[in-house]
Amino acid sequence: RSDRSAQTKPPSAMSSDSVSTSAELSPDDDVTMTSCWSHLLTAKEVMYICPFRGPLRGTVNVTNYRLFFRCMDQEPVFVLDLPLGVVSRVEKIGGASSRGDVSYGLVCKDMRNLRFAHKQSEDALKKSIFEVLMKYAFPVSNGLPIFAFEYGQVFPENGWKVYDAIAEYKRQGIPNESWRVTKANDHYELCDTYPSSLAVPVNIPDEDIRRVAAFRAKGRIPVLSWIHPESQATVTRCSQPMVGVNGKRSKEDEKYLQAIMDANAQSHKLFIFDARPSVNAAANKMKGGGYESEDAYQNAELVFLDIHNIHVMRESLRKLKEVVYPNIEEPHWLSNLESTHWLEHIKLIMAGALRIADKVESGKTSVVVHCSDGWDRTAQLTSLSMLMLDGFYRTTRGFQVLLEKEWLSFGHRFQLRIGHGDKNHTDADRSPVFVQFIDCVWQMTRQFPAAFEFNENFLVTMLDHLYSGLFGTFLCNSEQQRVKEELPKRSMSLWSFINSQLEDFSNPLYVNYSNHVLFPVVSLRHLELWVGYYVRWNPRMRPQEPVHQRYKELLARRAELQRRVEELQREVTNRSASSSSERAGSPTRSITPVQTFV
Amino acid sequence: CQCTRNPGPGSGSSLIPLFLCITSGEIVVNEVNFVRKCIGAEKSHDDLWGKLICTNFKVSFVTHEALAQPRFQVSNRLLGEHDIPLACVDQVVTVNDAKGKKKVLGSNQKLKFNPSELILYCKDFRIVRFSFDEAGPEGAKKVCLAIAHYSRPADPQLLFGFELIGTRYLEDGLNGARPAGGSQTPLFACSSDWDREIKRTGAAEWRVCSVNQGYGVSPSLPEFFVVPASLADQDLRQYAEAFSGQRLPVWCWNHPNGSALTRMAAITDPLQQKRLDQRICNAIIKSHPQRGDVHKADLDKNLPSIQQVNNSLVRLRHICVIDPFEETEEKWLSSVENSQWLDYVRTFLKHSCDVVYILEGLNASVILQEEEGRDLSCVVSSLVQIMVDPHFRSLSGFQSLVQKEWVMAGHRFLDRCNHLKKSDKEESPLFLLFLDCVWQLMNQYPSAFEFTETYLALLSDSMWVPVFSTFLFNGPKHHDFLEDKKITLGEGEELCLPPVWDWSQQLSITDQALFNNPIYVGKAAPYAHNGAVKSFRRTKTGWSSTLRGTPPALARNGLQGSQGTLPRRNSLAAQLKSDLFPVRDVPESPSERFARDWFSGPADPQGLLLPQLLPSHLALWRLYFLRWVPEAVIPRGGPVTAVHAVSQLAHEIETLQSQLRRYKGPTPGSTPRASPAGGPPGTPHAEPSRMFFKAGSLYEPSPPPEFLSSSFPFTPVGNLCRPNLRGTPISKLLNGAKTWLSTETLAGETA
Repeated sequence: RSDRSAQTKPPSAMSSDSVSTSAELSPDDDVTMTSCWSHLLTAKEVMYICPFRGPLRGTVNVTNYRLFFRCMDQEPVFVLDLPLGVVSRVEKIGGASSRGDVSYGLVCKDMRNLRFAHKQSEDALKKSIFEVLMKYAFPVSNGLPIFAFEYGQVFPENGWKVYDAIAEYKRQGIPNESWRVTKANDHYELCDTYPSSLAVPVNIPDEDIRRVAAFRAKGRIPVLSWIHPESQATVTRCSQPMVGVNGKRSKEDEKYLQAIMDANAQSHKLFIFDARPSVNAAANKMKGGGYESEDAYQNAELVFLDIHNIHVMRESLRKLKEVVYPNIEEPHWLSNLESTHWLEHIKLIMAGALRIADKVESGKTSVVVHCSDGWDRTAQLTSLSMLMLDGFYRTTRGFQVLLEKEWLSFGHRFQLRIGHGDKNHTDADRSPVFVQFIDCVWQMTRQFPAAFEFNENFLVTMLDHLYSGLFGTFLCNSEQQRVKEELPKRSMSLWSFINSQLEDFSNPLYVNYSNHVLFPVVSLRHLELWVGYYVRWNPRMRPQEPVHQRYKELLARRAELQRRVEELQREVTNRSASSSSERAGSPTRSITPVQTFV
Repeated sequence: CQCTRNPGPGSGSSLIPLFLCITSGEIVVNEVNFVRKCIGAEKSHDDLWGKLICTNFKVSFVTHEALAQPRFQVSNRLLGEHDIPLACVDQVVTVNDAKGKKKVLGSNQKLKFNPSELILYCKDFRIVRFSFDEAGPEGAKKVCLAIAHYSRPADPQLLFGFELIGTRYLEDGLNGARPAGGSQTPLFACSSDWDREIKRTGAAEWRVCSVNQGYGVSPSLPEFFVVPASLADQDLRQYAEAFSGQRLPVWCWNHPNGSALTRMAAITDPLQQKRLDQRICNAIIKSHPQRGDVHKADLDKNLPSIQQVNNSLVRLRHICVIDPFEETEEKWLSSVENSQWLDYVRTFLKHSCDVVYILEGLNASVILQEEEGRDLSCVVSSLVQIMVDPHFRSLSGFQSLVQKEWVMAGHRFLDRCNHLKKSDKEESPLFLLFLDCVWQLMNQYPSAFEFTETYLALLSDSMWVPVFSTFLFNGPKHHDFLEDKKITLGEGEELCLPPVWDWSQQLSITDQALFNNPIYVGKAAPYAHNGAVKSFRRTKTGWSSTLRGTPPALARNGLQGSQGTLPRRNSLAAQLKSDLFPVRDVPESPSERFARDWFSGPADPQGLLLPQLLPSHLALWRLYFLRWVPEAVIPRGGPVTAVHAVSQLAHEIETLQSQLRRYKGPTPGSTPRASPAGGPPGTPHAEPSRMFFKAGSLYEPSPPPEFLSSSFPFTPVGNLCRPNLRGTPISKLLNGAKTWLSTETLAGETA
């Protein structure tokens, strides 16, 4: 590891619960390393009740970023390193017992639960770990800043510059004769959960767009996500139409969708993919929402993709956690996994994205994608189908652009879905929608191991920092809020960290598939549980054997051989040149030296 | 008949054989023209027209015209693209659409209707369907009956391999080549191979004994085997009578620390049991340099029976290829679980790990005990050796292992493959189970094996090409068996069938490159960059150091030993149990702890390898089980695309190395062949690349070609045509039945 990367390495959110002998993880070093860490508490003689190794006695240090437990009795030294942002709830277990023991558990967002116990402190003035955690694990609830605003690490790369909406539209060839970029949402007046620049059909004036906004839930009008470079078929996204029980219609909306269809000369049809199960879509009519009727929208075909809502997904992941943590029940593993329906949900999302990609690529037909609000399932579907359709998004930076665009700028409500620094762990708005998306991406990397520039570590690191609170990237709910909070000024971007040490996140097998569209097989025969993420806390699971390491060794070997061959080539050239010149010196020969290669 | 000698794919592999490929000794039995080979489930334009031929070796389909687009497929030198060896045909089902009749055909049976369709269920999971709507009804019937008859030979003599013996192979091999390629693999039929193995493993206190020369002691043991040096020949002769099948305890392999792995059959004489046990154990202890203990592993007690394994595969086959794809999708995971296949794979791996722990962690010898000692112990002993000894992860090492622990140890391939379709009770896919276990290891440690999963699949398919001595016999004593059959030979001719290891019999040199794993870390290859080459022995001491304080006992899984102490428990912890924060209740066994400690460090591909055995870490071997399923094919995807990418790099390295050699001239002491990057020794100009996929222009890796898919190098096109059976789906009726389709049920319908 080079000196530079050592400097830029932020505290790891990953290595928790792993055995580490490395001295660099010592909390004391952390305190001295940067001023942004404030040390809050040290408690000795604390018991970490490890579900795998049994109770371990050691010392706990808590800073405003993390909890650090170290047990010296074990060989090698056992270390637990937990960013406080990962904690979903802290709870006391049992009452204080007669012997004065206190025990409490931490339920974490990253698929684990931790338990600690210690003797009741005699010093009443001293704060208990419990109190400190209750305060600093939930800074937002306690009027404290999220750690990202205090993290002062400087990186050589500036990740906030990765995405520029206009540049990305330009990459796609927008504006063109059919699509323009409107300023109607410049100050988020049209839709406060959308980005400021939007691509819309050329022939729809801004006044009409405002009327369309009135007919779409939360003003989320259909806008362009992606355009096919050849056929001009497009992926557009929006929220549900406000049809209601009475079947309200909007001339402007109908005209708007017609314009989307007309922008693609290759097809006289438009597909509307409603991500929801049809029952749910119909039920939304009671709340003023609903779906496009095929009577109102001529030439449009409506397809329901049967993907369930955030509550179902949350429940599914909760069940999955029960099945994988701490131990995997051996006899009924697969049927237990089946009963969580997690892979089935993954399948439905991927199947939906595949249908979209297929319609656009093979059918050359434009598609409109929406669910209810168009910021959860819709984001999953558009970004996944774009990942299948466009090789750019399969590069490391391209993927960052995809996330910045389809998730962050289009208002996936990260703050609400993750609950950053919020103690209200039962909040019904929380849901692992983004985790699910990353899982789908991982499934794709499994089926096409050479088609992605990034590796599994990249995906895991992203999920770790989704919760860690170290970076500003996943804070807030919308572009408007991010601008208001001045995130780029006050916090670091995760991409700054990642792009400063791309080596760690790159897939050496990557082969540019150029314009090849990936069609994954969305069958349970190929989908598998992402053990590298969900089961990683289990010490009986070892990290993936370093094939990538081996590949890098081969690369180094090739470079070495190349060097030697070139050296020899030079030598031979020189030798033949010098021998020719010798010969040239003799009066009988006067041929010009010719370079010869063996 | 217009049989033409195949020009041989080697001479023109781009040619699609439009004519029958005939191996010497092969006779055409029956044929019918204007047959349609079904490609899709419904009538389809893609269907192929041609001639269906039954020979004494295979079912052949010769297309009338070349395919529009040539598909990529490994061309087998013994078989054409649409050929199925008769030994691979599991069930022959004839259907008459109009009359709604179907019948499973056996040998010498009558067929009362003219078949409109023939469905062949194959042992390698293919389902091939032919339609006779344009063919002559009588001819079609005859071919169906011939296939049914010839695929169930009443006598081993009728297996094709034996017909072959008297003919061409003896002259110049199956394909005009002397069996030279396979000669690199030691067959363990002579004492020198055993001597070398003793030397290689440093088993000083063991000796090759020849009491069984001429099979005088045991018919199922090899003529030469290895025993403790302290046991004299006369003792052995005397002991043999007490063992089932006279199968004396034999040595398999020595751990570098001196512990030995041995296997033996049950002692049938109860009076002698204790005394004999004692003697054998003492002899094994004496052969241990540190006089290490002996542990016995009772395999019959702790592992599934061969019938259970077979039933499991039948269930797996149903969900993989017979049941409709979409119908099985919803319950796929629990169906896989119900098949128990992965469970069994795990059990065998787990048990092998326990044995590794005894050898490695306890420094004690192990006796694998099994009633006959020629089924379950084959799997366990070979898995143990693969885990501990990197030699067996090289191609030639692996082949020698199969030879040593399966073929010479007397595994009943003839019965277990059920080549004679005689007794279904004896049939069991133990060898496939073993290959699957190896695949799991390979899946977890991709750079530890010299060969690829394609190799494993092709090896498994070779079981159904009945011309190789490897898979045709019930024991090493097949020479006598052949002599019994009075197969006459010329003067001085040596009687032999080629072993499967002579791969040139089946595949061109180019196609054999598919075996080579481009990321294999070979013995001499520098694995660590700092120049320290980790050796097998050196890593070993590393694990022992982590074992401090481990009680030398193992009380689980029938491995005898004293009760191990449980991990220290704190009273506070016990008191604090709650549902939300469960603490593991089952105490960790010493072998689990051994594994856990081992997992906490980095793995050395040339050192000990332990499989991760959480159920979440075992996967279905998709290439093998799903290769024919069209719906499961990932176009331009699958693990092979990673192989493709690395191969290009490895090929570039090879090219650079040969360039270097050209500059330097041939070196007298050429480097030993080790890693793919190392390249084989020999003349620098003539050497073929070890990589199947070659790099295009240097340093610009190309995307996977069109023909690459998750099924590569197999093609599902025309190889999985699920029958469109009317009425109740037959698969539902017969769930879990022994055969794919029960003869009784279906025969009744034809009346």
